[in-house]
Amino acid sequence: MRPTLVVGSGPLLFLIGSTDAQPPASFLLDPDLQHAAARFEAMEPPDVPVGLLAAVESGPRDSPLLASPPRLASALAERLHRPVGAPTSEELRRGRRSIPPLEPAGERRFFLALGHLRLERALRAPEEVLITLAREEERVERSVGREARAAESFVRVPDSPLDHHLVAWGRARDALDELAETLRRTLETEAKLQVPNLAAVVGARTAARLVAAAGGVSALARMPSARIQLLGSRRRPSPERGPRFGLMYRADRLAEVPIGRRGAYARSLAALAAIAVRADASTHHDISAALVARRDRRVEFLRRRRR
Amino acid sequence: MRPGRSYRRVEGCPRLFEVLRADRRELWTEAVGEPPPVYGERWTEVLDRRVRQFEPGRSKLAAAVVRGWTGDLPMPGEKWLYLGAASGTTASHVADLVGPDGRVYAVERSVRPFARLLALAERWPNLRPILADARDPTAYASLVPPVDGVYADIAQPDQLEIVRRNTELLVAGEGSRLLVALKTASMGRQRTAAGHRDEAEATLGEVATLAPSVPLEPFHKGHFMVGGRWGRSARLPVRESARVTKPSGRRRARRAP
Repeated sequence: MRPTLVVGSGPLLFLIGSTDAQPPASFLLDPDLQHAAARFEAMEPPDVPVGLLAAVESGPRDSPLLASPPRLASALAERLHRPVGAPTSEELRRGRRSIPPLEPAGERRFFLALGHLRLERALRAPEEVLITLAREEERVERSVGREARAAESFVRVPDSPLDHHLVAWGRARDALDELAETLRRTLETEAKLQVPNLAAVVGARTAARLVAAAGGVSALARMPSARIQLLGSRRRPSPERGPRFGLMYRADRLAEVPIGRRGAYARSLAALAAIAVRADASTHHDISAALVARRDRRVEFLRRRRR
Repeated sequence: MRPGRSYRRVEGCPRLFEVLRADRRELWTEAVGEPPPVYGERWTEVLDRRVRQFEPGRSKLAAAVVRGWTGDLPMPGEKWLYLGAASGTTASHVADLVGPDGRVYAVERSVRPFARLLALAERWPNLRPILADARDPTAYASLVPPVDGVYADIAQPDQLEIVRRNTELLVAGEGSRLLVALKTASMGRQRTAAGHRDEAEATLGEVATLAPSVPLEPFHKGHFMVGGRWGRSARLPVRESARVTKPSGRRRARRAP
């Protein structure tokens, strides 16, 4: 006997019987497409329409029950108290062929609603918040610098409309400075929460920027230290005069190292950062004290050593 | 129509127009959505149709057409699955080609490009964005109806496997179209670019009848367009007009980072 198949296709769930004789029965998740998208995404056991449960119960008990997507399968299993499997590719193809296409306008609204829902949920994840914050902070910091440089070279002309402009501009710059400061504090707090070991080794802000450049903590954890060292660098790699630092240039304590030894420091710091971020990504142990001690020893060594 | 240009339809592709210039061949697609431009491309009106320039330097599909691709292109009314849509540069043109009665189901995994794709879908009525990982087509299989073609532009080491898995599960059947913009730089350094292309042809050749691959240089370094029709015994289209245009020296492939 062929299995009974439940396929969730947008706002409709289709029940495809074990024989081709019966056409698929459809059950609406919610008449409102926004709500239907939310239910489709969550697919908790209470979201399964009662009509569908009744229809499955009234069907043959001996035919195995399969459902797609996987979330629907687990919700159904919980409501029906019976095992619900995942369809094979062949079964899924059969199911998808037998269900009618959605009405285009409804389909479009459903996809947009689902897209917005998934996007918002993805951006809400703490890691994505950290990445967004790091990018915003970098952008605002750059505009603070640009405005400050412009202000330096601006020639003041007393008792002219330019003077008023200068006052208004000054206020705008103060507001921008304040925004940058707030952003920086938020970013540092977030970074210390999410990547504590990395933040201790390279500094919270650099840690956040590294995570943003890599696209995530796990992506950064998979990188070799040589790549971490050069993340965000702009110079073209070459055997003669390749880059020595990227974002690492702003790391803690780098400025204390003599200029000629900074490349060496960046190299060892990147090695420590790689260890730190792997701890942050997988074991979540606090190994920052040991790493910071190694880093500081390295700084002292490089400061003492003659070139 | 602007003087000095003569737009004409590309044979066998009703929504694709071309202009032959002295040094290059310009492509234009008939827009489904409204201005403003999606990524800064030029718009104009030709014979009461609003068209958008389809630049080979920006899009691998346009580069393939310019380099003489003889295989299938998206046709009006078809449903296409687009893997790796990013922010929708090429996806918007594929949506143009399938026209208002066609559909493009665009799968993208990265969050930020997807935000732009979603904004594009708000004004491109036949584009359906899906935030999902193309490695697991079962996650969105129930949302996507059987499709007439799969376009893949996923720079991943296992891109062929991803394409194969999606195609097996989601195409309507034998004869469905397959277009893969192959990025050989993502496939490891054990082989040369041509070696990777040969491997891709061998892998896809097991399940599809392939049209001759074309290199996308100088527009996209180390890229190839590989594709054909699903099924070992599928019949390929006969298109005579596929001219090979000499790539212009003005546009050079950007160096791979």
